[in-house]
Amino acid sequence: MRGCNSFPGFLRRLFLGSLVFFVAGLLLCATGVHAGGTPIPHGTVELVAENPSIAAGQTFHLGLHFQLEKGWHIYWVNPGDSGEPPRVKWQLPSGLTIGAMEWPTPRRLGSSSIADYGYEDAVMLVVPMHAEAGLAASGPASLGAEIRVLVCREMCIPGKAQLSLTLPIKSLPSTADARTVELFAAAREALPLHAPANWKFSISDAKDSFVLTGNVGHAVTQAIFFPLAESQIQNAAPQKLLPVATGFQMTLQKSDQLLKPIEQLKGVLVLSGDRAYLIDAPLTKPDAAGNSSKVGIHAGSIS
Amino acid sequence: MKRSTLYLMIVVLLFAAPLLLSAAKVGDAAPEFTATASNGKTVHLSDYRGKYVVLEWHNNGCPYVRKHYNSGNMQRLQKQWTARGVVWFTILSSAPGKQGYMAANEENDYLTKMQAAPTAALLDPSGEIGHLYDAKTSPQMVVINPQGVVIYDGAIDDKPTTELKDVTDATNYVTRALEQAIAGKQVEMAATRPYGCSVKYEDATH
Repeated sequence: MRGCNSFPGFLRRLFLGSLVFFVAGLLLCATGVHAGGTPIPHGTVELVAENPSIAAGQTFHLGLHFQLEKGWHIYWVNPGDSGEPPRVKWQLPSGLTIGAMEWPTPRRLGSSSIADYGYEDAVMLVVPMHAEAGLAASGPASLGAEIRVLVCREMCIPGKAQLSLTLPIKSLPSTADARTVELFAAAREALPLHAPANWKFSISDAKDSFVLTGNVGHAVTQAIFFPLAESQIQNAAPQKLLPVATGFQMTLQKSDQLLKPIEQLKGVLVLSGDRAYLIDAPLTKPDAAGNSSKVGIHAGSIS
Repeated sequence: MKRSTLYLMIVVLLFAAPLLLSAAKVGDAAPEFTATASNGKTVHLSDYRGKYVVLEWHNNGCPYVRKHYNSGNMQRLQKQWTARGVVWFTILSSAPGKQGYMAANEENDYLTKMQAAPTAALLDPSGEIGHLYDAKTSPQMVVINPQGVVIYDGAIDDKPTTELKDVTDATNYVTRALEQAIAGKQVEMAATRPYGCSVKYEDATH
């Protein structure tokens, strides 16, 4: 940080000596400026813009970058049995609208009888924003975000943070610094992919459980399912996986809180190698699901 | 020593497994339990057949529980319903060394300080009652009818936050369940997601 201030003097002495040094210095400064987030209990949160300016008529992305001390976690959009997801109240100038938050694939946290879904160490939630075509290029845009977040280890602490960001409005998109590029690349890497169009998923109702059938073209021997909605399946119950030649069948125990029949089960399916996919499995009639191929199967169990 | 520990573990597993499988559900008979209250008395759930019974899972360090105690909401509910003949048990299922674990005298001091008014605070450091009812969070709430059937299991209200001010305009599910049941109606949304902190059982790591 201190090196940034001495840079102009350094440059003067060298009489605009080396452009390479200048660019390298800017990058270092950028890293230094961004390194401090706003404190939350046992961590920090920072509002990061993917591009250093806003272009009218364009969609751009913001990130909420959480960094947590070892052992502490925050929650996924569906927190599981306990806890709650981070909540954001946006303060936006007119002409900017916000899209749906994109949540990276969570981890299963908890014990044998209680299962939560969340993130440890660091995570960036990605938020698409749209700038209206008529957005005036007069002054810079000030964006604010009031964050409420529950941070837990063995115990939970609620935290609040007020974040802000000022971005100039320019007609041409500008390029981001290396750290920002890296942060967004890592964040997108952590997001679940849309399942390929030729993969087929469905659920059938089997009294106390749902059977999730996946047809993905190859046998699946390892899978974990994270439900997007609360109170559909028992989070802590083992997910019984039955590999079949073209995919798998997974038995998911119904939640006791499920009082009405459901039309579909949406969630994130994590296969071997941590490949995660957003899936939407509609309910099929019992007779259609009950007689799938069961050749060359061995049962596995993932809890 | 080692061998006895192993035997103990086997015995615990043998007993714990069926308990976990037979966790209480809405519409089922409320599992019977015997517990020691912080006032030293022994409580058998079956002694209260013929009355409505509320079970409240408690951990005084949990911010969701603190919301309801620091706002006076929980104490108000306890007074309101015990005055109408409802039995109210506050249950402490935190394991020794975990957040919310209280020795009897500590819990009695807490009840006095907070002006709490449950029928009794039940000490459940082994987590046995918690597991019997598959309690996931504090403050999870269970309502049992005079016939001994679970008629509500879930959240205390519809505002799953730690904000004190949310207590004011929340729909309280315990009050609704009791009012509806007393009026002879079906309890709507008899099972909800019990928001809060995870119950700090022996194996809690989060």
